[in-house]
Amino acid sequence: MVFNSIAFVVFLPIVVLLFYLLPHKWRWLMLLAASCVFYMWFVPKYILILLVTIVIDYAAGILMERYADEPRKKKTFMIISIVSTLTVLLVFKYLNFITENLDQLCASLGMETHLVTHIILPIGLSFHTFQSMSYVIEVYRGHQKAERHFGYYSLYVMFFPQLVTGPIERPGNLLRQLHEKKEFRYENISKGMRLILFGFFVKMVVADHLGEYVDEVYGHLDEYNSWSVLLCMVFYSFQIYCDFFGYSTIALGSAKLMGFDITDNFRSPYLSKSIAEFWHRWHISLSTWFRDYVYIPLGGSRVKFGRWAFNIMVVFVLSGIWHGAAWTFLLWGFAHGLLHIAEKVLRRALPNSGRVKGAYPLVGNALRVVKTFLLVTLFWVMFRATDFEHLRSIFVTAFTNFDGGEQMSVKPGTWLCLGLFILSDILLRNTRFDAWCEDKPLVMRWMIYAVLVFMVIACSSVCNFPFIYFQF
Amino acid sequence: MKKLLIRIGMVLAMLLLLNWVYSKWFFEKDLRTHSDIVELSWQVVDDSCRIIYLGESSNNHFGDDEPNHRKISNFTADYFPTVKMGDLTKEASHAQTHYYLLKHIPKESTVETVVETMNLRSFGAGWIYSDLETALRKQLVLLEDYPSLMNRFLLAFEAYPVKTKDEWNALVMEHWRNDPLGFPYDFEWDNTHQWDSVMAWRGWHDAEGRRDQQKTELACHYIKSYGFQITDENPRVKDFDAIVELCHERGWNLVFNLMAENVDKANELVGKDLMFLMQRNREYLLNRYGHLPGVTIVDNFDLVRDAEFIDQNWTTEHYYEYGRRLIADHLAETLKQFYPTDYHNPDSLRFAVRQVEPHLP
Repeated sequence: MVFNSIAFVVFLPIVVLLFYLLPHKWRWLMLLAASCVFYMWFVPKYILILLVTIVIDYAAGILMERYADEPRKKKTFMIISIVSTLTVLLVFKYLNFITENLDQLCASLGMETHLVTHIILPIGLSFHTFQSMSYVIEVYRGHQKAERHFGYYSLYVMFFPQLVTGPIERPGNLLRQLHEKKEFRYENISKGMRLILFGFFVKMVVADHLGEYVDEVYGHLDEYNSWSVLLCMVFYSFQIYCDFFGYSTIALGSAKLMGFDITDNFRSPYLSKSIAEFWHRWHISLSTWFRDYVYIPLGGSRVKFGRWAFNIMVVFVLSGIWHGAAWTFLLWGFAHGLLHIAEKVLRRALPNSGRVKGAYPLVGNALRVVKTFLLVTLFWVMFRATDFEHLRSIFVTAFTNFDGGEQMSVKPGTWLCLGLFILSDILLRNTRFDAWCEDKPLVMRWMIYAVLVFMVIACSSVCNFPFIYFQF
Repeated sequence: MKKLLIRIGMVLAMLLLLNWVYSKWFFEKDLRTHSDIVELSWQVVDDSCRIIYLGESSNNHFGDDEPNHRKISNFTADYFPTVKMGDLTKEASHAQTHYYLLKHIPKESTVETVVETMNLRSFGAGWIYSDLETALRKQLVLLEDYPSLMNRFLLAFEAYPVKTKDEWNALVMEHWRNDPLGFPYDFEWDNTHQWDSVMAWRGWHDAEGRRDQQKTELACHYIKSYGFQITDENPRVKDFDAIVELCHERGWNLVFNLMAENVDKANELVGKDLMFLMQRNREYLLNRYGHLPGVTIVDNFDLVRDAEFIDQNWTTEHYYEYGRRLIADHLAETLKQFYPTDYHNPDSLRFAVRQVEPHLP
């Protein structure tokens, strides 16, 4: 079930109502059933894959705790669990890619092979497998008690607001809250509704409108001039941000309606002054996952420069390949890693380059924000391109066709929506929409609601692009 | 809880206000953008039409080599030069689309008679669950009976069947596999899918016993297009029922124009079993709608011969000029009862019809 569908608009109030009507001891069951319905709305049979990982990780958690005094056994259970979860990921997400490349490799060696597979990727697989793994690792490290209740553990993996596109939760946050008795509070309903409304605005009004231009230009590169392609690069930066941020905000709001606080995934990433800062503000739940479970175990930053650079590259390449099984994603991760290292090298070589002194710190900071945004925008092209050939075409058209081709015409309404979003992103750089509304006068607050409701209903794109991160 | 109820009241008041704003300044533009078919209904009203012809591709197709591109509706209009006749034709549309268009004709319009195209194939799973349905149904959302802001909300949140081509195809296949054919005598195959598969496997053979692959494929296509049984549960029957009810409410004469099918080809390629189903479905429609007050059926089912069908390698209701004229002539005969004094001396037109040589492939 997608959030911007009539099914979800009916589903969510029913679930919230049932949640508060039922006694605490039955709520997990209702939420689990609701989560199953939510997931099975896509392709019902894929729930079996989810079930397999749930059973393995649930059992691994209990066994690791039982053999807490026998490190070798404990480690074995952890490895079995991680390997089996990664195998599921490998088969359903990467096997097509691997076999396709093996076929090509064999063909280049003059051998004809037909290894290629056509497995359909279950929706949200990368997200819930990472969430499962975080549980197993936390139990192994002794930071989390193994969950004995199979229902609660299943719900931790399947909690519908964040099941298919995150945020990737940790057991210390979500599992704990699932056990807590939640009382009905008006402020939760109010905050949840605000977040959902804002999320719909960001996704349906901003992201989807921009998506129409991006699809048109990237799909017909030969018809447009360089200015159009360059503008589309910027539009795509906002499309992907608004798409994912919108989804995460609706997820946050849906959980908040029932009193659950799930992790914030974004903090105005395009206001970052460096790539390193960007990754502290973009897809936070994934960045922190890689930080805690890959980067720090590799030694983090408390190592020599060469080793640190290696650690960074491992994390970014893994992050790239996590997003999708294609060379373009790998390149995207690689480019971010390189830039991250380059920034550090520059900071070392020119220690004062990052600090803005004098009378115009605002201008200096703004320039650094623009620089970071442009670099990120350039890299998003790798993320959006379907393959290397498409990537090459985009760059070639973007920088060599200033005189030929058509100029993309953008409706004033699109600029207005984008402008409104950028303004909101600046206003919300240190807060969240629900909290920001809190201290506004009642009349102003309701005027904001009215504008947002009107825009979501009357000004949303009717193209209904699927959430970009669904494919991961 | 009291606070919550107050807020719910405020939300309702806000929605009423927003609905007013939307209806006044935005709705019409949205209709033109997202439901442009409604402009056809508006045109009918603007032109003060008394008869409206609701058609699909049968009213919009001409042979590549034909100089005369006049439609069935144009030829019919020639019989009533003093009566304004409007044409609401949209490719791939069907009774459900037409129902929404009719609903949007204001009560104070000058419309007196509705001619609704009745296409036998449109009752089959292949058309009901065609992959064009997503786009067609999306166009209808803004035309629902709810307040305009609610309609826009339904459009934004995809309150129409959003399916991929594969999903639609799967639905069609499900019906071909499961819907009974309902022969009253023993028939070898249980459903359309089996029948089609066997035809594809056995093949179509000419008089000398040689398999003809092209005709085999066409025979399969005929089985898939006409090998079904219309029942009261058929979604298209419900759409036609709704049109009957609407026309009754509005006091309009309703004429169902049952389109000609290529029975010659069906008989040649598949034979008596398919002919039996086609005939039975035709009789079902004649019995269901032929005796209702205010409803007339023009039965063109076997009026047009094979040579007059444009598409010889596909099942369509696209006719060459002579076929279109024949149907128009047949339809005009029926419409004459409503406009006896406006009926133009048909001799010249009949002469013209006779002058046109039947198209030979």
